[in-house]
Amino acid sequence: MSIIRYEQTQGKSLGFYALIAGLGAFILAALGSVYFMEHSGHHVTGMSNRIVWGLPHVFALFLIVAASGALNIASIASVFNKKIYKPLSRLSGLVALALLAGGLMVLVLDLGRPDRLIIAMTEYNFESIFAWNIILYNGFFLIVGVYLWMMFERRMNKYSRKVGIAAFTWRLILTTGTGSIFGFLVARQAYDAVIMAPMFVVMSFAFGLAFFVLVLMASYKWTERPLGDAIVNRLSNLLGVFVAAVMYFVAVYHLGNLYLAENSAVENFILVDGGIYTQLFWYVQIILGGLVPLALLYSPMTKGNRSMLGLASVLVIIGGLAQLYVIIIGGQAYPLELFPGKEILAGYGGIASYVPTVPELMLGLGGMAVALIAIAYLVKFLPFLPESLADDVANPHHKG
Amino acid sequence: MNRWMVLLLSLMVTSVFAHGHSEHTLGTEADSIKSSDKTYHQSISMIRKMHPEFLNHKRDKTLRQGVRTEEYSLSGCVTCHASKKDQSNDYHAIDASEQFCSDCHQKVAVTVDCFSCHRTTPAEGVK
Amino acid sequence: MDNTINRRDFIKATTATTAGVATLGAGITLTTYVNANENPVTNEKRWGMLVDTNQLTESDIDGMVSACQKEHGWGDEIHSTGDQKAGWIKKVKVKDTATQRISNLALMCQHCDEPPCVDVCPTNASMKREDGIVLVDKHLCIGCRYCMMACPYDARSFVHEDLTDQKEHMPRGKGTVESCTMCVHKVDKGEQPACVSSVKSDAVIFGDLYDATSKINQTLKKVQSTQIRADLNLNTGVRYSGI
Repeated sequence: MSIIRYEQTQGKSLGFYALIAGLGAFILAALGSVYFMEHSGHHVTGMSNRIVWGLPHVFALFLIVAASGALNIASIASVFNKKIYKPLSRLSGLVALALLAGGLMVLVLDLGRPDRLIIAMTEYNFESIFAWNIILYNGFFLIVGVYLWMMFERRMNKYSRKVGIAAFTWRLILTTGTGSIFGFLVARQAYDAVIMAPMFVVMSFAFGLAFFVLVLMASYKWTERPLGDAIVNRLSNLLGVFVAAVMYFVAVYHLGNLYLAENSAVENFILVDGGIYTQLFWYVQIILGGLVPLALLYSPMTKGNRSMLGLASVLVIIGGLAQLYVIIIGGQAYPLELFPGKEILAGYGGIASYVPTVPELMLGLGGMAVALIAIAYLVKFLPFLPESLADDVANPHHKG
Repeated sequence: MNRWMVLLLSLMVTSVFAHGHSEHTLGTEADSIKSSDKTYHQSISMIRKMHPEFLNHKRDKTLRQGVRTEEYSLSGCVTCHASKKDQSNDYHAIDASEQFCSDCHQKVAVTVDCFSCHRTTPAEGVK
Repeated sequence: MDNTINRRDFIKATTATTAGVATLGAGITLTTYVNANENPVTNEKRWGMLVDTNQLTESDIDGMVSACQKEHGWGDEIHSTGDQKAGWIKKVKVKDTATQRISNLALMCQHCDEPPCVDVCPTNASMKREDGIVLVDKHLCIGCRYCMMACPYDARSFVHEDLTDQKEHMPRGKGTVESCTMCVHKVDKGEQPACVSSVKSDAVIFGDLYDATSKINQTLKKVQSTQIRADLNLNTGVRYSGI
C-alpha cells in the first residue's frame, strides 16, 4: 500500500459554482421560510397542539442521526483498525460535522423562540434528555474537531486512535441520547420503548453511510479522481448489512409492541389503518427504503454497479426520512390513552391531522443544503480527500 | 489616552440619558407625580441603571416563589409610565416607538423582550 | 427622599378623586400592603382540586371553560385554526366500555407531583412551585414543545400567533408554551381558581391537600377518588370522583 496523499479540490469549475449556487438557493429559501414562520408564528405551519413536532423535526433528527453514523467510517479505521477505511477517515469526520450542523440549524430555527438560544446554552435542567443532547451535540463538535486535527497534523497522528475511540464512544452515547428523546415519553404509546435508543443507533449507521457514499462518489466523480472498486464494494456491502439491521430492529420493535396488549391499538394504526402513515411505513420505509436497496446491493445483476449503489443510497435516505416521519408524526397523530378502559366520546381524541407546509419543507431541505455546502467548501480549503483511491493505492491487499 | 476614552464614554452615556429626559414620554401617571413635586423612585439614576436586574430578580421571585409585592413589579412600571393618547382615554403601548421604554431602548439598540408576553398598557379599569 | 409615595396609594387616590393628588401628604407609608405573599410559598401546602363528576353538570363544565377563558384571555386567537387554538381546560365525555356509564369532566393540567413536563424541559422553564402548582416560566421557554410531547394529559398549548392586550396577571406570547396555572395569581391572594368559583355546587372543591381541616382533604378521606392515568404514578394534584 502506497502512501496516501490528501489534496484540496480545485473548486474552480463551473460545476462547482453551479453546485454552490444551487445549494445557496435552497439555503436562502430556508431562511426566508424561517423568517416567515417566526414572524407570523407557527400558525402558518401544519403543526398544532396535537402535532407539536412536524416536518422540520423529521429532517433535523434525520440529519443528527445520520451525522453520528457518518463518523462510522473513521471509527472502523481507527477503532477497529481496518486499514482500507483509513484514507476515508478525514472525509468521514467532515461529513459527520456538516450533517450535525445542518440538523441543529433546522432544530433551532423551528423553536418557538429561536432568539432565546442563549437560554438553551446557559440554563440546563440535568434531568432533561433534551438538555443532555445539547451537551452531547456540542461535545460532538469539539471531539470530532480534535479528532480531525489529530488526523491532519502529522505530529499528532499517534493520538488519532485514542481520540478516535473517544469519538466513537461519544457518538454512540449521542445517538442513544437522540433515541431516548422518544424512548422515555411514557405518555405516548408509540414511543415508550427502550428499544428506541439502540434502534436509533442502527438507523444512524445506515443513514450516515448512505449519505457518506453519495458524498464520496460525487466528489470523486466531479473532481475526476480515481476511486477503485475495492473501497466502493466494501462500502456497498456495509450499507447492505446496516439496512438489513435497521429492518431487523424495526421488526423487533413492532413485534414487541404488538405483544403488549395495551399498545396493540397504536400498532394497528401504524401498520394497518393509519392512512398516510401506514402507506409511508410499508411502501416507502420498508419497500423503497429497505427491500429495494437490499436487492440493488446484493442482486448479481446490479451488484458492483455504482449508479445502482448511488440509487440504493438515495433510497435509504428517502426511506429513513419516511421512517422518522412515521415515528415522529405518526406517533403523535395517534391520540393519548387518557382513560384506559374507557372510550372518549367527545372533547379529545381521534387521529390528529397534519399537512406539512412548504416553509417547513424548505427549512428541512435547507438543513441538508447547509450540510452539503459546508462539505463542498471545506474539501476545497482543506485536504480532506485523498488524491487517489484507486485500488492499488487504497487496498492493503492489492496484488501487483 | 485613557482620559480621552473616559470623556468619550461619558459623552456617549450622557447623550443616552439626556434623551431619556424628554418630558412627554415619562407617562401619564408619572408626569402627574412629577408635576406635583413628589418622587416615587428613591433614586432615579439607580432605577435607570439597575431596572433590568430589579425586574429579573422580581420576576423569578414572583413566578417561582409566589412573592407578589408591589416593589419592582413590571405592571407597576406600565401603570405609571404608559401615556394616554391625546384624543381618547386609551393608552399608547408602552413599548411603542417614542413611548417610555422604547425611547431609551431604541437609542441604545437593546431589545425589550418583556412585551412579547406582558401587557403593554395599564390593566383594564385603570384610567 | 421625604416625598416618596407608594404607587398603590397614588393610584387609589387619583382614581378616587382628581383632587386626591393635592391631598397626598409627604412621606406616605409603605405599609399598606402587608400580605402573606411577601414570603415564598413552601411545601407545607399542596394545592389540589377535586372534581365530582356525579355532581358536575355539562353546563357547569362549559361555565368552567368560559370562566378560565375570561380570566386568562385565551381562546380569542385569530389566525390559529383547529388544534392550534389554545385549550387550557376542556370538556371531555367518556364512556366506560364495560358498564356503558357516561361521565363528563373538565380536563386541564393535573398539577402532578412528578410532572413529566418538568423532567423533560431543557431550560427549567417548566417548573413546579413548592406548593405543587406546575407553571411555565415563559422567560425561559424557548418553545421546543418537548413538554407537550411528554404531557400525558394533552394539557398544554403552544401560542401559534402574535397576541396583544393580554391580561395584566397573565402574560402570554407567541412561541411559548402555556397551560392551566391553577389561577396562581388568585390563589396567592387567598382566592379560589376562576373555574372553581364558577361552579355553584360543591362539584369542584379547591384547597390544600395536606391541611387536615380543609374541605378537600376531608372529602378525599371520605369519598373514593381517582387520578387520571394513575398507572403513571404522577401523583396528580387534580383528583376526580365518580369516574
